[in-house]
Order: sequence, then C-alpha cells, then structure tokens
Amino acid sequence: MARRRKQSKGEKLETNMSAMIDIVFQLLIFFMLTLKIVEPEGDFNINMPAQGQPTNPDTVPPFPDIKVKLRANPDGTLAGLFFGSRNLGIGPAAFEQLNIEILKVIGRPGDPITKDMAVEIDADYNLHFSNVINAVGACTGRVDKRSGNIVKYIEKIKFKPPTPQAAAG
Amino acid sequence: MAKREPNATPEAEVDMTPMIDIVFQLIAFFMVISNFEQTQADERVKLPRDALAKPPEVKVEHSLVLNVGFYRDMKGEKTDTQPWLFNFVDGEPVLPLSSGGQLKKEAKLFGAKGIDLKEVTVKVRADSEVQTGIVQELIKLCQDAGFETFAMSAMSGPDE
Repeated sequence: MARRRKQSKGEKLETNMSAMIDIVFQLLIFFMLTLKIVEPEGDFNINMPAQGQPTNPDTVPPFPDIKVKLRANPDGTLAGLFFGSRNLGIGPAAFEQLNIEILKVIGRPGDPITKDMAVEIDADYNLHFSNVINAVGACTGRVDKRSGNIVKYIEKIKFKPPTPQAAAG
Repeated sequence: MAKREPNATPEAEVDMTPMIDIVFQLIAFFMVISNFEQTQADERVKLPRDALAKPPEVKVEHSLVLNVGFYRDMKGEKTDTQPWLFNFVDGEPVLPLSSGGQLKKEAKLFGAKGIDLKEVTVKVRADSEVQTGIVQELIKLCQDAGFETFAMSAMSGPDE
C-alpha cells in the first residue's frame, strides 16, 4: 500500500480529452442545425358529414341555426360581418361584438343546450380565410382574461355550401 | 512562486472542465427542445391567427394534412395569386380543385391500412389569404372521397 501511494504521488492522470470534445462539438452543431422553431398551432374541429345523407325526420333540431354572414370586398378583405341580418361592421371589434351576441343567445356558457345549437357560417367565395377562422373563433368561445382558460360557447359550426365564383363575382 | 525544476518542459495546461460542462448543458438543451417528429406542415403556409386556437391536448391518431398556400418571396409577399396544395403528391404542388383523384387514393390507402375514414381527421392548414370558397370546395372534395372529420389550423395567439 505504502509503495503504491508513493508511486502515484505527484503523478497526474492525463486523459486525452480532444477526441471527446471533437465528438461533443459535432453533436452540439448537429442539434443546433436541426433545431426548428415551430410556433404552436391549434385546431378548430368541424364535423362535416357528407351532404345528401338522409337525415332522420324525427330529430328536428330544437334550435334554428344561428346565421353568421361574411361579405367580402372584391380584393378579399371583409366588407361586413352580419349576425342574422344585423351588420356588426368590420375589424376586430366586429368579431368581439359577434362573440357578445353569441353569448347573449346561449345565455350561460357551458349550458347543456349549447350542444344542440349550431352556427352556420355563410362566407363569400373570395373572402380571405383568416376572417372565417376569426368568426369560427368568436362563435366557439372566448379566452377568460383572468384565468386564461377557454370558455366554450357553441362548438357546432357548419358552413353554407359555397356559391360558385362566377355567380359571386 | 513554486520552484520550477530546471529541466522540466513548461506545459500549458488548460482546465477543460467548465467548458465541457457548458457544452454538455448545451447539448442536453438542444436535444430536449428539438423534436424529430415528422410533420407534414409546410412553411409556405401563413396560418391565420386566433386566440381560441389552442394546441390539442390529445393528439389525433390518424390525420391527413392539407397545406393550402401561396408561393411567397423572402419578404413573405405573394408572388402568385394562385393557391396551391403543397406537400401532397410527391412533394409537387397541385391545384386544390384538381386534387379529387388523389384524395380518393388517400382514402383508399387508409382503407387498405384498416383505418375507418371516420377516425381520420383532415387537417386543413390554409393560408390566411386563401379564398374561403377554395377551402370549402377542397373540403367538399374530401367529403366526396369519404372523409368526415375536419380541423382547421390556426396559430394560437392574439388576433392581428
């Protein structure tokens, strides 16, 4: 024992680090290059069974569909957002107003009757798709400012079949 | 000052330990945040933004992703007004309204795998400036092919 201790005294265990560092740097560069920053994406689920399916005449929907109309300018921007026959205007304020109107219709969010309610969106052919998404968003609910949770309004969204472009234009 | 032995060669010794520590930390960081998940998303599609679009809590098992977007230049401006269906057939863009045959093939492919089309979600990743009518007609084509469940993608975040 004493002898061994004497031998190791003052000697330094030298490991050759360069090989490891080479590999580690390679790995680092690989992971840095393959990194792709993806913004979180969300989905709006829409259930659209094929049209022309025989609907059971006994199951008449208890509520008529809430009609939301989106009219477009020739360049595709929003010309008017209509709730029923009322014009709510354009821009973010219109979608907020739509959100309020939907809340008025359903009364209380989360009420079981909201499951039977549906919104039908009727959009012009050339309207930019972002407006439709905003309208769908305004109908499906809102984000609670205090808790950040989503308060759901109406989840059933339908689309009116598109009018052919020639007729719309 | 330590006494230096006269015949010992001076050796510059760098302490590598902190550097290796940091490098390992970096590797661990990049490994954790990088995901190798094969996504069919296409970067050319500029998705609309909505506060209600929250990433789904449960991942859908079977999905068909349809990227509808425009060719854009470096600044993100449209170079063409014609929307295309990207990343669909062999990486070649196709016109959305002439994709009916391919959609039917996809439906058959799901059938061959023994997956019921009712369980397949068609994820429509449409650009914010795509005409709504084109998206609707594309959905119609999907319905003709037998798909029933649809989802429209949007970036989560406050409206622009």
